[in-house]
Amino acid sequence: MATTVFMEALSPTMEEGRLVKWHKHEGDAVKAGDTLAEVETDKAIMDLQARADGILRQVSAAEGQTVPVGKELAVIVAPGEPLGAGRGTGDEGRVAPSPAATAPAPSPAPRHSPPAAAAADAAPVKASPLARRMAKESGVDLKLLTGSGPGGRVVRRDLETAAARPAATVSASAPVAPVPPPPSPVPVSRTDASYEDVPLTQIRKTIAKRLAASLGPVPHYFLTTEVDMERAAEAREALNRDLGDEGRISFNDIVVKAAALALTRHRACNAWFQDDHIRYWNEVHVGVAVAVEDGLITPVIRHADRKSLREIGREAHDLAQRARNRRLRPEEYTGSTFSVSNLGMFDIDQFTAVINPPEAAILAVGSVTQKPVVADGTIVARRRMRLTLGCDHRVIDGATGAVFLQTLKQMLENPLAMLL
Amino acid sequence: MIRAGVVPYAEALAWQRALAQARLEDRLPQDVLLLLEHPPVLTLGRTARETHLLRSEGIDVFAVERGGDVTYHGPGQLVGYPILDLAGYRKDLHWYLRTLEQALIDALAELGVAGARNPGHTGVWVRREGGVRKIASIGVHVKQWVTWHGFALNVTTDLAQFDRIVACGIPEVVMTSVEREGGTGKGEGSLWDQTSDAVVRGVEGAFGVSATSAELSPVVSHTLKGALGETLC
Repeated sequence: MATTVFMEALSPTMEEGRLVKWHKHEGDAVKAGDTLAEVETDKAIMDLQARADGILRQVSAAEGQTVPVGKELAVIVAPGEPLGAGRGTGDEGRVAPSPAATAPAPSPAPRHSPPAAAAADAAPVKASPLARRMAKESGVDLKLLTGSGPGGRVVRRDLETAAARPAATVSASAPVAPVPPPPSPVPVSRTDASYEDVPLTQIRKTIAKRLAASLGPVPHYFLTTEVDMERAAEAREALNRDLGDEGRISFNDIVVKAAALALTRHRACNAWFQDDHIRYWNEVHVGVAVAVEDGLITPVIRHADRKSLREIGREAHDLAQRARNRRLRPEEYTGSTFSVSNLGMFDIDQFTAVINPPEAAILAVGSVTQKPVVADGTIVARRRMRLTLGCDHRVIDGATGAVFLQTLKQMLENPLAMLL
Repeated sequence: MIRAGVVPYAEALAWQRALAQARLEDRLPQDVLLLLEHPPVLTLGRTARETHLLRSEGIDVFAVERGGDVTYHGPGQLVGYPILDLAGYRKDLHWYLRTLEQALIDALAELGVAGARNPGHTGVWVRREGGVRKIASIGVHVKQWVTWHGFALNVTTDLAQFDRIVACGIPEVVMTSVEREGGTGKGEGSLWDQTSDAVVRGVEGAFGVSATSAELSPVVSHTLKGALGETLC
């Protein structure tokens, strides 16, 4: 004898519940008292428990689906009991052998029906050939559909409507053969000859949300300057000769250090825009954007103004590596007061970066390339790098951003100034 | 009522599950209210959407069996986990949620903060010109009418931490705290202690119970032996 599992009322005022998670699945053995599923109403979750021992069958509600109170969600049948056996409500099971129980293969034909539809079982269903084929393919019982074609004939449209409401009309399974899992609310990849739909991963969704929440409401403007990197490059080469492969210093490390020092002199650019106030930071924590598989993340070099280039280099390297392995702890990628994004390694000459709220500014760093420049009246080749500062105009006015950028440029062009 | 201090999320979750299991097996004769504080953590309720987690990669994130969306817990936030057998009150989840709200509203009133319901959005809110701010979140789980999970009331919470998430799954929701709303108690002691006392009185009043202080360790050792073994030791 089968026992129906139905959506239970968790409150007299509850009319429907959302099935948030199945703990047991089609074909699982269950014992009375086992948690079958979790149902949500409002912000409360209630375990739905098995009221009989047996095998869980005919799971007809998908996770995430909202189901009216009293509606059938599944049945529990005795082990070995044919699936087609009648179902009862609660303990009053209706036992009725079904011809479908022994059918060897899925067919669109008879299966047990809800009592209301029982009388119609015998009558042939009017349906178009296409509708019949679609019904067969998708395991839909034509008897459960109300035809919208001429004379109540079931047509393609009805099957399509039914497919859009999976639990309502496709609740029962094809006989004997394992019941196909209910349509998942989770998007899956779809591929067509001409395109591929890829569902958003968590990190993509996060990026989409955060960046849209930045460029939309935050009034960005951008300031660009070109920095002569000859002396910084020479200093870097000398340092790296000493350091060996172990702790090589990158141009970006130098930029991070210089920006951190420049921020200590321009607190206006080291700030968070908060709802009703601006928080000017006395500490400098620089977020360094790192490209990871399928996205980016901004680990933070804390107190970057107080750290040596070697420390910054080592820390940036370690953070980037762990960011790519998704091994960062929360405190390692939150709390930055300013961010640096570098696309120089992709030969990007200059670009604008989107502010990482609530920060007030972000520095976009281009590649270091040899360019002809006029120095002392002659054209010489110099290594140059373009910096673009993205500013939140609510915090930083144009001139304020410009003087910060000027200080930064001077530091990079005269790296010894960083020692002062 | 057990004041447990600062407890890591995973540990508190193990306690709750063990206490709830003990309660529904009648090994625990009384209802329990755990009051504690968590180190920074994000938790995802059953209905949480990943998009509501804004800055999360690598953070301690727990997907748990409470209702509701994503939320942040951390220092300065009073977390309450009532382990109640609703059979002793009313077998009605909506009643339970509304009563928890009432307990917190009453507690806030004691501190001079006007908490209110926001129909359709479980939790406690403070109405302000230009909108409402959320001061307490609620998310619960019930098994055989025994509750766990509960509420989180911002006392002196660093509200910037909520920037990590779309709080409660409602974009644009603004979080607030007792401190931010200028709440003060009448008596001695820190805002934290006064809030915590007010919450206990609120729960007593709303549920019609009287609370006695208990230590966790005897409760654990006497009623949870074995149940906790796997998770904690």
